Amino acid sequence: MMNREMYAQFGNAIAHLAEQAPKVEMPDAERVQRAKAVMMEKMDRNLAVDLESCVRCGYCADACQFSVQNDDPDLIPTHKLDLLRRVWRRDLAPMSWLWKPFTQDVTADDLRKWQALCFDSCTECGRCSMVCPMGINIARGVNVMREALATAGFAPDELRAVQSEQDARGTVFGADASHLVQTVEAVRSRGVTVHLDKPKAKVLMLTTVLDILLFQDALEATARVLNAAGLDWTLRSNGYEAANFGLLSGVEETQKKASEAVIRQAIEVGAEMVIVPECGHAYPALRWEGAEVHGGALPFRVLAISELIGELVEQGKLRLRGDAHQTLMFHDACKLGRHGGVFEQPRLALRATGAQLREPRDTEEMNWCCGGGAGGFLINRAAPLRAQAFAIKRAQVDSSDAQAIVTSCGSCRLNFLAGAEQTAWDKPVLSLVELVAQNLVDDPLPSAAC
Amino acid sequence: MDLLNLARGPLLATSVLIFVLGMAWRMVGLIRRPTRQVRSAPRRIHVQGAVWAAVLRHMLPRTGTRPSPTLATLNPYFYHFGLVFIVFGYAPHIAFLQRHLGVSWPALPDAVMYLAAGVTIISLLVALAMRLMDPTLRRISSADDYISWGLLFLVIFTGMALIDRPSSAYAAQAFSADPTRLAIHLMSLELLLVWFPFGKLFHTVSWFFGRAQFGAFMARRGVQA
Repeated sequence: MMNREMYAQFGNAIAHLAEQAPKVEMPDAERVQRAKAVMMEKMDRNLAVDLESCVRCGYCADACQFSVQNDDPDLIPTHKLDLLRRVWRRDLAPMSWLWKPFTQDVTADDLRKWQALCFDSCTECGRCSMVCPMGINIARGVNVMREALATAGFAPDELRAVQSEQDARGTVFGADASHLVQTVEAVRSRGVTVHLDKPKAKVLMLTTVLDILLFQDALEATARVLNAAGLDWTLRSNGYEAANFGLLSGVEETQKKASEAVIRQAIEVGAEMVIVPECGHAYPALRWEGAEVHGGALPFRVLAISELIGELVEQGKLRLRGDAHQTLMFHDACKLGRHGGVFEQPRLALRATGAQLREPRDTEEMNWCCGGGAGGFLINRAAPLRAQAFAIKRAQVDSSDAQAIVTSCGSCRLNFLAGAEQTAWDKPVLSLVELVAQNLVDDPLPSAAC
Repeated sequence: MDLLNLARGPLLATSVLIFVLGMAWRMVGLIRRPTRQVRSAPRRIHVQGAVWAAVLRHMLPRTGTRPSPTLATLNPYFYHFGLVFIVFGYAPHIAFLQRHLGVSWPALPDAVMYLAAGVTIISLLVALAMRLMDPTLRRISSADDYISWGLLFLVIFTGMALIDRPSSAYAAQAFSADPTRLAIHLMSLELLLVWFPFGKLFHTVSWFFGRAQFGAFMARRGVQA
């Protein structure tokens, strides 16, 4: 159950988030120079091949929730890479000597315009790439664009506000160690053992601001699952935050700081496994980008909680009653599914609770994004775009004829809740880990989390 | 030197040279770009199968997109297959390739070729109409799209204008056609060859690399691209 009061406060905080963003004073020429420097630095072979390959067929428009819901032709995914293409063609391509006179240079006004294209109307969901006849990884290109825009001071104020907080204090939305301790105490008061700051443990559990402040039941459920599986685990008050607003806002330094904070803790406690909570982007931030930040292979496995639960159920280490007979649709968060390959384990876990899964036509790697991923749910001016995108999601869920929708991502969940509230949609939005915890065999608190 | 000899001789040699060097220059320029070292533990180590699957899979329309107009989905297949038929199936073209490359294969019947040419011309016109009429396609289109389309269409059009008898009749007289019209057809091909490495027609090479690298990227994450 979500903390309703905190949900309202959270909404209010988001509404005023932009006011907390640090001011960026920079001449336009410097903005352009900095953005282009990032674009050039990130122009590796894969990106160059992608930029050379587009035949402008327009197929990606059919796959993008923002493009199909909007008449604005600028929203077509491939167009979002046009500034990168221009830099490539003018300055780096093998035939730049020929193309340069015919290719317009990037201007500060272009960057201003692309801010909305790469942040407001793109969640880096990657669905466009799945239908691209050339296999262009558009999401990766948009991510490079986000870095270029961020270094030019053009990341949206809301994301800059959270990123600068995480960079300076290591916290997100002010959820510091004292808030974590308060939440842990609240969970402990319900009779659940929470291992905080054990010096050594085989499993390091991460959490996120959403679970500390809003979805405390998800944190509690995670603890109960880990306890039920008999794992030697701990949460660390010096490195618990899985959310990475450096990655979302395109600020590499903050991304590294945030990742290193948890990597350091994992190494310190001797963890063999790090569990990422129900937070979509936190998974690729550590699972796929963590080793790059660390400069070498990570000395531990990184698993999403939904992935771990599936593994534990499969190995017989987590026993579920299997009596929750209901029809559910599982929403694959883009960063866990399409970008992470976590498809089977969450479904296995849900089936083990006794649920029947209803799959819509577009599922797994072709699932539609909720519309608020990659930090999009924080950008206030993008609310109308998100609402349009959510209409697709809602129709998809309704077509599945499931009684409820389940996800394993806090920001998807928030976006679903906001969409449901705006459209008076009464479909229950559930958390996978909470459902599983409610179904544990011999659970001492079978109804406590309900 | 008459026009046909000019087209068959120095112009052909020059255009082929530009084509080969240009394509190689562009390819080498891409290959020489730095690569990003990937350090994360892969979900899958052996990705070759998935790479080939991605290369083939992206050749077909993906189920799971919103319903798109059938013509928009099918039209590119018409002109791609039509062009393959025309270039590699028509007897005079096979003879041309045999003369220059020394390889040949059986030709397809003329009726099939005329059908392929008709389908290709119509579908190219449809593609142009879509590009001009669809606001999204128009937004992302550049001069490259129209130049590539125009040169390709010119080659097919001048080729069709050349045909005035069955291919067997050309074969009987060592494939000699009206010299002026043949020269114009050859020169339009040469123009296309000169343009080829500089524009979107480079996708005849890059399609494979784009799909393969995406297939590998997704496969190591355990996702079927």
